[in-house]
Amino acid sequence: MPNVEINLNDLGALVGKKLSLERVREALLFVKGEIDSVDGNEIVVDVKETNRPDLLSAEGIARELKGHLGKEKGLAKYDVKSSGVKVIADASVSAVRPCIAAAIARNVKVDGNFIKQMVQLQEKVCLTFGRKRKEAAIGLYDFDAMKAPIHYKAFAPHELKFVPLEYRVEMDLDEILKEHPKGKEYAHLLQGCKKYPILIDSADVVASMPPIINSQATGKVTEKTRNLFVEVTGMRQETVNTALNVIASALAERNAKIESVQIVYPKSRITTPDFTPGKISVDVSDVQKISGLELGAADIVKLLRNAHYDAAAKGKKIIAEYPAYRQDILHPIDVIEDIIIAYGYEKIAPAEVKIATIGNELQNNRIENACREVCVGLGLQEVLTFTLTSKEKQQRMMELPEQQFVEIANPVSTNWSVLRRSVVPELLEFLSKNKNCPYPQKIFEIGRTLALDASAETGVKERTQVCIAISHKNANFTEIKSHLNALLQNLGIKYETRAMKHPSFAEGRAAEIVALGKCGILGEVGEKVLKNFLIDAPVAVLEFEI
Amino acid sequence: MKIEETAQALSEIERNSLIALRDGRLKNAGQIANSAGMNIDSARRAIMWLKEKALVDLIESAKMHISLTTSGKEALQKGLPEKRAIEAIHKAGGKERLIEIQKNANLGKESDFVLGIAKRNAWVSLHKEGNELVLELTGLEKDLLQGKYASEIALGKIGENEKLSEAENEGLNELIRRGFVERKQIIERSARINELGLEALAFAEKFTERKYVVDAGVPEILLGKKQPYVQFLGNIRNKLVALGFKEMPAPLITQEFYNFDALFQPQGHPARSWSDTYQLKQPKFGKLPDARIVSGVKAAHENGGNTGSSGWQYKWNEEIAKRLMPSAHGTAHSARQLVKGIEIPGKYFAIARCYRPDVVDATHLIEFNQLEGFVVDKSFNFRHLLGMLKQFAVEIAGAEEVKFLPDYYPFTEPSVQLSAKHPELGWIEFAGAGIFRPEMMLPLGIKEPALAWGIGIDRLAMFKLNIKDVRYLFSDDLGWLRKCAVVQ
Repeated sequence: MPNVEINLNDLGALVGKKLSLERVREALLFVKGEIDSVDGNEIVVDVKETNRPDLLSAEGIARELKGHLGKEKGLAKYDVKSSGVKVIADASVSAVRPCIAAAIARNVKVDGNFIKQMVQLQEKVCLTFGRKRKEAAIGLYDFDAMKAPIHYKAFAPHELKFVPLEYRVEMDLDEILKEHPKGKEYAHLLQGCKKYPILIDSADVVASMPPIINSQATGKVTEKTRNLFVEVTGMRQETVNTALNVIASALAERNAKIESVQIVYPKSRITTPDFTPGKISVDVSDVQKISGLELGAADIVKLLRNAHYDAAAKGKKIIAEYPAYRQDILHPIDVIEDIIIAYGYEKIAPAEVKIATIGNELQNNRIENACREVCVGLGLQEVLTFTLTSKEKQQRMMELPEQQFVEIANPVSTNWSVLRRSVVPELLEFLSKNKNCPYPQKIFEIGRTLALDASAETGVKERTQVCIAISHKNANFTEIKSHLNALLQNLGIKYETRAMKHPSFAEGRAAEIVALGKCGILGEVGEKVLKNFLIDAPVAVLEFEI
Repeated sequence: MKIEETAQALSEIERNSLIALRDGRLKNAGQIANSAGMNIDSARRAIMWLKEKALVDLIESAKMHISLTTSGKEALQKGLPEKRAIEAIHKAGGKERLIEIQKNANLGKESDFVLGIAKRNAWVSLHKEGNELVLELTGLEKDLLQGKYASEIALGKIGENEKLSEAENEGLNELIRRGFVERKQIIERSARINELGLEALAFAEKFTERKYVVDAGVPEILLGKKQPYVQFLGNIRNKLVALGFKEMPAPLITQEFYNFDALFQPQGHPARSWSDTYQLKQPKFGKLPDARIVSGVKAAHENGGNTGSSGWQYKWNEEIAKRLMPSAHGTAHSARQLVKGIEIPGKYFAIARCYRPDVVDATHLIEFNQLEGFVVDKSFNFRHLLGMLKQFAVEIAGAEEVKFLPDYYPFTEPSVQLSAKHPELGWIEFAGAGIFRPEMMLPLGIKEPALAWGIGIDRLAMFKLNIKDVRYLFSDDLGWLRKCAVVQ
């Protein structure tokens, strides 16, 4: 869920109305936004919708608010003139990063808010909608420093040199990928390519190396910049078009004059930005069925216009036109939600759910509860530990030989890097943290353990185990076996114990529990293990699958 | 307190002690214990209590008391080191190398000392054989072997609390030096009944029942209890079962297919990235369900298939869907249940252990529980969704007022957030919900609307358990668990 930083005065100027914090808070509900924090006039808005790149800046949010505050209805209309400028896409980019879209924004008034919002929009769109620049990378340039036409062409790693943004030295393309921080961060996007994409003007000045970095020469926007060149590169034309529409319409909200650019591909030509609205048909009956509201076609059209759609009733259908910067409308259901939001959730009367069903808990849960009841009857305190743990605790501290664990690929810390095979080490750690608590200490846990199992649907066998640990100066095998006996007798389970050697237990004080289809262990924890856990008092444990 | 009341509140041992003291003679705890037929510790306690109530006078005298130390007790059992040494020589045929004796008799640091005693008593003669010292019995060791060794006799008597003879007393200091015996000053208390005591006794004998001091403290009992958070979750489960919900299985490990793909979350989506969810290093891949369902999900992602959607317009990769991960949210279990098959109308829920890479602190856990589920029926619409949420807020959180706000979830449309006004917490984000998207349901062959919901139960649990630190849900503090009141 992206956070968008906004200045309240800037937002007010964009909407054309001074807005109180409270008013903004209410209005943001229409765009699924919530104020996360406030610092004077600076607010941070949590935009919950992750498929609305147009809401990732003050301009886009302001535009939506205008609709819901009644200042603007229907589609936002932006005039687009042709600039006559061409971007010539060479065949060499088709194998690397084939698509590009571009626009020119004239008469921009660059100030602090402008730069802040454009940088933010560019970053957030690339991160979310652009899938970390893979699907869309955006560049903004000082157009007055560029000579048209602009070429989009691939070059070999050592064929070309330029000064990357905020750098002073020239680097070749390979050096940029290996040494520049942005190069290193995004190099994987160009991995395996023999040539790298470059945007270069007719004076042979490099503008950028998409999707990595702009050049210092033209790829820098300052308060002196008057005319902007904007481009988006990526893998699919539709995606780069949408991203360009988001940026261009945001610039238009700041009163820039948008001009189109012709993209000349080897075999085709297109003109961008293309603000032609999307079209979708929605059945009035579906709106009624899903919303539970008695809305007529006219009501629906009115609500859609508040939500920046153009709409017209056609028989039992509504033909809705949505802005070109929106790409989240995949299905009529998405339009229906916008209708309900525009209607106002607070005005809808909840209806009672009246279906007769029989409730039921899982069978496994009933067994767990029976087991829990016996343990409590035995005077044991239940505890709850985590299933994420470390190999160190589960294996080495238990003096066990190498074992296979269900293992996390991207742990935050080695303390939480595998899923437990046994509950025993977790209870020992619990005891070691409570040495100052009065003894005897008698605890139990009923919890899941995990082991590899190639035959299972997830490759993992998950078991529910009961684990009991008893610690005091005379804790011994007999006492823990008495507990086992009481537990299994009361659960109606017949069992046998067989003496065994086990590295975690004291010699001659360990046994395996054998019951129908289930198994477990019990015994006195060995001295070495106690020492590993820094436990002073003797401990006897049992663990059994239920 | 009046003397009558004091008398009535006497405990069994106080009363019996007073009876033993009735003759007015000065008696120590041992004597009282003997005549009252109780153990000496009870008698000691009783006279202290009687003294506090001013029913007896105490006379204290300091006495030296000698007793065995732990190694003294051991020596009494296994024999003194010198005896063990002589026995070892005897066993070897009357002559043995010192090094062997040290080993066989386990002399340890007593070795030099033993050698000294043996020479002093002329039990052995010493000579060298090669480089080794050899000890040979002289015949004077007989008394020792027959149990006539004064130090040994003294040790036995001290153990039995008997008086030592003069000869035995002589060796006492040596035994103390060697750490077998310790000498301590003890205070012996003797009691004599006083007038008030006699008066109390007269009353006491009239009452057959003891009167309790009801405001006195009592010993603590450690009892067996359920873990409070487990208990809280159990109560929630009962509530949902009572509302007609069926519980769904909630495995800890899931295929990405159920966690994401079946929920119409595109494969390149940032929410699927490593920083937001855990992935497994081993095992890596699980199995996918029925091919028909997989191809339906694939089509929905790629171009919408027959769902009326445009889909996400990318190439869906089956291998990514097979990848395994610890469940990141409870909706994964709803997806699994929907694939497995459901009853319509139906109500389903899961209490799901979920995982999220994070740093553990007072407000974050990497392992936590979510309450998730859905209800499904052909008659349902958005108003039923609101109605269901309101019922949850009232039944589960005891909410007084609710508010519905637009929200976003990748798998529901329309989506809603419910804020509930809790009597003590104020407005809280209580639940997220929505109607499952057609792109999700149609590939699974379900046409009826399903109202999906998830409730943030940890916040409620923290309130119920009166804790500020979320880590206490999995508390490792035994003292706190013992004190924590049973959850109702």
